[in-house]
Amino acid sequence: MIQKDFSPEEAKVLEVLKQVPDPEVEVNIVDLGLIYLVDKNDDAKTITIDMTLSTPGCPVGDSIIQHVQTILEITYPDYEVNVNLVWEPQWTPELISEEGRAQLNR
Amino acid sequence: MQVGLSTQNAPSVWVVAPHYLVGTVSFILASVLMVIHYEDLLNYHLTPTLIAITHLMILGWVSIVIFGALYQLIPVVMEVKIYSEKLAYATLGVMVTGLIFLITGFLKFEFKASFEVITGASFVIAGVVMFAFNTLKSAAASQKKSISRLYIIASGLYLLLNVSLGLFMVLNMSYNWLATAHTEFLKAHLVVGLIGWFLMLIIGVAARLLPMFLIVHKLKEVYLKWGFYLLNSGILLSFTLVWIPKYPKELFAAALILILAGLILFLLFSYDVFSKRMRKKLDSGMKPTAIALIMFALSLIAFAAVYAGNDFFGLPAGRLEIVAGILMIYGFFTGIILGQTYKTLPFIIWLFHYQKLVGRQKTPLPGELFNEKFVSVHTWTFVISVVLFVAGLLFSIQIVVLSATATMLLTSMIYGYNSSKMIFHKKQTIK
Repeated sequence: MIQKDFSPEEAKVLEVLKQVPDPEVEVNIVDLGLIYLVDKNDDAKTITIDMTLSTPGCPVGDSIIQHVQTILEITYPDYEVNVNLVWEPQWTPELISEEGRAQLNR
Repeated sequence: MQVGLSTQNAPSVWVVAPHYLVGTVSFILASVLMVIHYEDLLNYHLTPTLIAITHLMILGWVSIVIFGALYQLIPVVMEVKIYSEKLAYATLGVMVTGLIFLITGFLKFEFKASFEVITGASFVIAGVVMFAFNTLKSAAASQKKSISRLYIIASGLYLLLNVSLGLFMVLNMSYNWLATAHTEFLKAHLVVGLIGWFLMLIIGVAARLLPMFLIVHKLKEVYLKWGFYLLNSGILLSFTLVWIPKYPKELFAAALILILAGLILFLLFSYDVFSKRMRKKLDSGMKPTAIALIMFALSLIAFAAVYAGNDFFGLPAGRLEIVAGILMIYGFFTGIILGQTYKTLPFIIWLFHYQKLVGRQKTPLPGELFNEKFVSVHTWTFVISVVLFVAGLLFSIQIVVLSATATMLLTSMIYGYNSSKMIFHKKQTIK
C-alpha cells in the first residue's frame, strides 16, 4: 500500500527523509517515491517506515535503509524506529515526483 | 536483515579493486607498446608485437576488468553471492602469471609454440576455467531466472571453448594435427571470443544495468530473447564449420548473418532503453557507454564491409579488417569499460569506506570519488583516438596513426589517474 495523505507530524518525518539521497542517481528517496508509508505514533513512541527500492538488485540498498534508520534515530532520539523493506507494490518510475524528475535531469 | 537486498551479497572490495588495477596497468602498457610499434599496424598483417598487444588488451585489460566487474555485478544481476571469493583471488593470480608468460612469449613469437607461449596459454586457460566455474556455480545458485542470466551462462561456456581453441591453434602450428589453414581457426577464435564471450556477456549485463541506470521500465525483452537464439545459432554454426574440410562458404556467410541479426536486435533493445529513459541527462559513466554503443554499430558496418571485400571499396587487402578490429576492441570494448567503470568501481569503494557512516556524518557520494572533468577529457581523447585510428589505417597515413596511438596512451593515463584515485581513496570526513 502506498500512503497518499500524511499528517503534519508525518510530513515532518518525510522532510527529514529528504536528506537521504539515492547515491546512484543523487536524488532524495522521498522524491524518488521510495517511501510507501510513514507511521509516527506519539503514544507508543514509535516511527514505522515502509519503503522500497527501485530494484531488488540495487547495489546500495543496504546503505539507503541504514541511512533512513540512523537519521530518524538521531532526529527522534526518544522514538523506536522500524524500517521495513517492502517489494509490493513494485516501484515504477511513475512514482517519481515532479521535483524528483527535475532533479534527475539537473 | 532485510530480505532480497543485494548489498548483503556484495563481494569484498579487495576482490574487485585489484582487477581494475591490473586492467588499468595492462591498458597503459598496451598503449605504450602501441605507440612504440605503431608502424606494425600499417603493415596490415599480424606481427608478434601486434599479437602481444591484442592479447594484452583483450586478456589483461578487457577480460580482467570484466572479471572484476562481474564479481560485483553477479549479486546485482542474479541476486546471489559469488560462489567463492578465494577462488576469485586465485583466478586473478593465475591470470596475471599467464599473461606475463604469454605477452613476453608473443613479443618474440616465431609462429610456433614456445615455452613461454605454451606456459602462458596454459595458465590463462586455467584462470579462465576457474573464473567460468565460479560464475557458473554462482548462476546455478541463483533463483532469479532471467534472460540476463542465460546470456552470462552462455558467455562463460564460450569463454571456456575459446581459450581451448586458442591453445589448440598454437599447438597445431607446431604439430600440424589438422591441415586446416590457421586463418580458418582464427575466424572461429574471433567469432567465439568476440561474440560468444564478450558480446554475450556485455548484452547479459547491459540488459539488467542499462534500464537500472537510466530508470526505464516496460522494455521489449523480445529483442533479447530472439537475439539470444540468433547469436547462439550463428556462433555454433561458425565454430562447427572450421572442422569440416571444404565447407560451402555460403554457410559461413549464413552464420555471420545470424550473428549480425542478433546484434542488431541488441542495438534495438539499447535504442528502446535510451529512448524511453526517464533520466534524460547522461552522467559521466553513461556518456562513454552511449558512444561505445555507436562505435559498436560502426564496427558491425565495418565487419559487414570486410565481408564485401577490400577490392569492392578499392582498398588494399587488410585495411577494413584492421579498422573493424580497432572499432570493436578500442571503440566498443574499451569505450564501454571507460564508461561503466564509473558505474561500478566508485560504488564498491564507497560502500567499503562509508556504508557504516551514512546518516551519522556527511559523506561524499560515489560520484565524488573521482575527477569528473577528467572523465570528460578522456571521453574526448578516446573518441579522437578512435577517429584518428580509423582514418589513419583506412588511408595508411603514418602521422595520423602515430597521433591515434599517442591519444590513446593519453586516454589510458587519464583513466589510470581516475581509477587509482578511486582504488587508493582515503576515507574523508566532510564538515
